Amino acid sequence: MPQLVTVRVTRVNRRPVRIWVPVLPVVLVLAPVLVLAVLAAAAACRVYRISVARALGSGWRVISALPGTQLDIGLGRSAVLVTIR
Amino acid sequence: MNEQRRDVLDLLAEGKITATEADQLITALERDQPPVASSSDTRPRGRAKYLRVMVDTLDDGESGQINVRVPLQLLRAGVRLAAVLPPQVLERANAGLSKSGLPIDLTQLKPDELEALVEHLDELVVDVDQPDAKVRVFCE
Repeated sequence: MPQLVTVRVTRVNRRPVRIWVPVLPVVLVLAPVLVLAVLAAAAACRVYRISVARALGSGWRVISALPGTQLDIGLGRSAVLVTIR
Repeated sequence: MNEQRRDVLDLLAEGKITATEADQLITALERDQPPVASSSDTRPRGRAKYLRVMVDTLDDGESGQINVRVPLQLLRAGVRLAAVLPPQVLERANAGLSKSGLPIDLTQLKPDELEALVEHLDELVVDVDQPDAKVRVFCE
């Protein structure tokens, strides 16, 4: 599971902004919303006749495979970097 | 097929040698061949973990870079997630892809085939070099 998401934004004539997002505390804070989201996803799976366990398992696999992902986009002197660890 | 074996078969096809002679020649050639290296020997490098996409562009004198690193594990997980999707969703995706000029029928893609595709992505290297853009896709 991802532990830390880092976002760095560099803009022309402005100080670069770097944000570290610790995933676990954010997940804990958003736990009530996440429970509702999981329930909504389970209901959607029922509607579309998809195995709930299989869908949740696949979703979890995607989330746990996220660490190592890096996206770096730069245009001129502006840049955005997103790193998931 | 190597060149010597092809020569022997050509001689056989032209009727210059008999099938028995061709068989003996091919056996002799196989004996002289060095042992075939196993697949692990031919690819000593480590197993690739990430798919990298690097794009360098030059647009109106302004340079742009895109550098994406995606874990191959994420692609595998995505493939499994796509396998869960119902056919009507895939048909919608097909319509969207066709509209974008990519006539790909996702319903024809089987999870096993996709898994094999991801497995072999580590052998993929795409290099596109144009005056105003350079694209490189590879695994590391």
